Amino acid sequence: MAQAVSTQQRDAIEEQAVHKHLMRFGDAESLATPMWEQRGTTVSSIAAQLAMLWDPPGKLAEGGEAQVTEKGLPHARTSVLNLIVTVGHDEAADRVVRTMMGLGVRHPSRAIVLVPTQATEGDLLDARISTHCHDTPGDERERICYEEVVLTVRGEAASHLAGVVAPLLIHDLPTFVWWPGDPPLVSPIFEQLVEMGDRLIVDSSDFSDLLTGLRRLSNLRRRSGVGDLAWGRLAWWQELSAQFFDAPRFRRFLPNLSRLHIRYALAPATSDAAANDEDVAPGCAAPLVQALLYAGWIATRLGWKRARSVERLAGGRLRLLLEGRYEMVDLLIEPVETDEVKTGELTSVRLRAYGEAGAAEFIIDRSGDEATVATNADGMTAMLRRVTMDVPNEPELIAAQLTMDLVDPVYQDALRAAAILLGSAREAAA
Amino acid sequence: MATTTAPSRSSTEPDLQRGGERVAPSPNPLREGLRHERIPEPCTMVICGATGDLTERKLGPALYNLMLGGFLPPEFTVVGFARRELTNEQFSAHLLEGVNKYSRNKPAKASIWDSFARGIEYHRGDLDDPTAYAELGKRLDRIDRDRGTAGNRLFYLAVPPSLYPDIVQQLHDAGLAATGSARSSDAKRGWTRVIIEKPFGYDLASARTLNHAIGRVFDEDQVYRIDHYLGKETVQNLAVFRFGNGLFEPIWNRRYIDSVQITVAETVGVEGRGEFYDATGALRDIVQNHCLQLLAIFGMEPPVEVKAQDLRDEKLKVLRAVRPQTPEEVEQQVIRGQYVAGWVEGEKVHSYRDEPEVAPDSETETYVALKLSIDSWRWAGVPFYLRAGKALPSRVTEIAVQFKRAPLALFARAGVPTVDPNVLAIRVQPDEGILLRFGAKVPGQGLQIRTVNMDFRYGSSFAVDVPEAYETLLCDAMLGDPSLFTRNDEVERAWEILQPMLDAWASGDGGPLHFYGAGSWGPPAADELLERDGRVWRKP
Repeated sequence: MAQAVSTQQRDAIEEQAVHKHLMRFGDAESLATPMWEQRGTTVSSIAAQLAMLWDPPGKLAEGGEAQVTEKGLPHARTSVLNLIVTVGHDEAADRVVRTMMGLGVRHPSRAIVLVPTQATEGDLLDARISTHCHDTPGDERERICYEEVVLTVRGEAASHLAGVVAPLLIHDLPTFVWWPGDPPLVSPIFEQLVEMGDRLIVDSSDFSDLLTGLRRLSNLRRRSGVGDLAWGRLAWWQELSAQFFDAPRFRRFLPNLSRLHIRYALAPATSDAAANDEDVAPGCAAPLVQALLYAGWIATRLGWKRARSVERLAGGRLRLLLEGRYEMVDLLIEPVETDEVKTGELTSVRLRAYGEAGAAEFIIDRSGDEATVATNADGMTAMLRRVTMDVPNEPELIAAQLTMDLVDPVYQDALRAAAILLGSAREAAA
Repeated sequence: MATTTAPSRSSTEPDLQRGGERVAPSPNPLREGLRHERIPEPCTMVICGATGDLTERKLGPALYNLMLGGFLPPEFTVVGFARRELTNEQFSAHLLEGVNKYSRNKPAKASIWDSFARGIEYHRGDLDDPTAYAELGKRLDRIDRDRGTAGNRLFYLAVPPSLYPDIVQQLHDAGLAATGSARSSDAKRGWTRVIIEKPFGYDLASARTLNHAIGRVFDEDQVYRIDHYLGKETVQNLAVFRFGNGLFEPIWNRRYIDSVQITVAETVGVEGRGEFYDATGALRDIVQNHCLQLLAIFGMEPPVEVKAQDLRDEKLKVLRAVRPQTPEEVEQQVIRGQYVAGWVEGEKVHSYRDEPEVAPDSETETYVALKLSIDSWRWAGVPFYLRAGKALPSRVTEIAVQFKRAPLALFARAGVPTVDPNVLAIRVQPDEGILLRFGAKVPGQGLQIRTVNMDFRYGSSFAVDVPEAYETLLCDAMLGDPSLFTRNDEVERAWEILQPMLDAWASGDGGPLHFYGAGSWGPPAADELLERDGRVWRKP
């Protein structure tokens, strides 16, 4: 009994901590309507509150007549999408709030933040509705507002989140489901919410079990798109890599690539841990994932076919032999200790090819926020230049996810290939 | 540790490709699916007249934003070409100042600007001096070698139109135009394109002369005539709105549409451009390009493909179907006005004739309202009312479609004799968006019908920053896509439509110049133009 009480107390403290984070407002935000809060409420009460949220304040005073003018709304609003966010714990709540505030005017029309708790004490459903407004920058100032509904769902209802959320969505709009942290990929709750959404957003860098996670993601039903923040962080690397081959004179090397060497960052303090446990590093549960997705991207874009392990995955390093179009391709992924770059981020990519006129190498080397881009081809170094690596922060990554097409076939291909590469690398060398 | 849950695989050498070999059709397979599936080839943009207002306000910020968004190739280089004595660094600082003042993303991010600034140069020279062009040629060759710009050049003529013929001739004489046989014989040289700003001519004859002068040097597919209205999202969305939705196209014709109003209203006066404006007037400044382009896109038939040639062919067909007016029709259907002192947005505005550099007895119109007919199967009998003016109450550009009334006044017996006709307003600026106006019953006992608006706005609907028109257009010119630029035959046809008005006014037959108070919606004669047809202007 004493044990049960202390668990409940712990749950209550955790819940309070989550809410403390979720109550925050950004400096640039303002409340457009009074905050509405109700404990022990029902879904239908929340839906009714949402429906009258933007009624003009003078409506009743004017004897019930509609106050509609050309620009009669209290703010500009056209609904384009719903966002469902699931927040499991204190840390995730903080991350979600910081990200949402960072979205500013790029925010979705309606965000529903779910806080499921296992606590059996207390009401089944608490709700808080707030409206956040931002003024757009520039001369044509416009006020853009969005609604945020925070739902705390307890007890049995926490196992049926879809039923709670469905009536609160704006009808007939795309629904994005963002699950920050390490989602319970095989739980029925996850399944329900993915089923409800049109696009799932995760960060595979946070997966505690990377191989299972990648396989599960690549096997989600086809209708639903998947967005991965780890993939979003690769955008600059992909752009710089593609730029090498925009020039026709270098494009001819693409079918003849014979070596792909990727290095990624590990914080020095965690390198021992990484040697012992290949997937775990503080702050980034799966530091290998960006390198794997990058390799999967190159492999699928260039039509590489089969993977055979040369060096079993150990210490975060792996080596595979792939079948390229004309050459066998040696793929090497290895960590480098550095604190200049965040754990898991790439630090260098080298692509090597043999052409008619000899070997060519395409190099991107990152150091801090800068990268050196170089091409060694036909016996001379060309295009040696330094570029700033513009690493997007989480709000930028989420904002980009919200504007993408629901399904990204290039990512899906890379994801599937990454899972195969990781699976192969875990096997003993042939 | 995770490995225990990994399901076993049937093969030790799994196939990475789903459904057999899939090699991307794109020329660079790594571009497929990236944020920018196409970015321009490495190139140099030369701004002739680079120290002017346009560069500081529009071109510099547009290029910076393109760079910021990753739309420009790393080799991209910009060369400012003008008379003023400046160093590369000073010109770069001048551009940076413009970005920090006028860019939609400001201030400039130091890291991005540093990358961009490495590709900024300044070429001092007189625009009428052949040696300046010869030196420019040498500089461009050096840039091609140093920065890998592969001989691709975009010349932007940010100068008064009177200088266009001379500059293009100088470019030709210095061997910088790369046209005709030079293009085909020297394929390694890359492409050369030229962007020119409106106004394209002063009247039909001068437009023909200008087109001829440019055409002598450049092939038409090298010439990009910029009308920045075409770079605006709403204008591009007009085609999507019409041809991407099943709902609107079936009613986009004379059977359902009563009339169309195109408004380009400005609150400002001539703002220090008195000399230019007094020689130009609203008809040439706004109607010839913006209004007629909006009309053409609004009224065109679906193109066979969304490609430059098809789009421009369809636009031209609309312009060709616009019936030129007789002198009598000009007098009745074209109203010109000039503002006198008044108040706009709470500020006192002087009479047009009191503006600096404006003749005290100026007859130049600062306002024009006109009615056009399109003799096509789709639009026969539908009047198109166009108006453009300065010192009007609000700044707005829109196309408003007024639909025909319901065929029967069904609610007349209940005391509602008529319901206002439906209006679909396509706003180009500000607040780019689309608005639909329809009648709805006021809740409660009895029958009362009110007009309500459904309002869609770009800015607040999509979680993205809307690019400035110049960003879209510069990027398109570098990509070689002229869809949003005006072709020579479109320009000439637009002048053919306006020439009878210019002639009538010049000969004194075109009706009087009306006066209107600054801050009003134009002269009463413009209202009468619509009242005669039983209609009224929208007050947007």
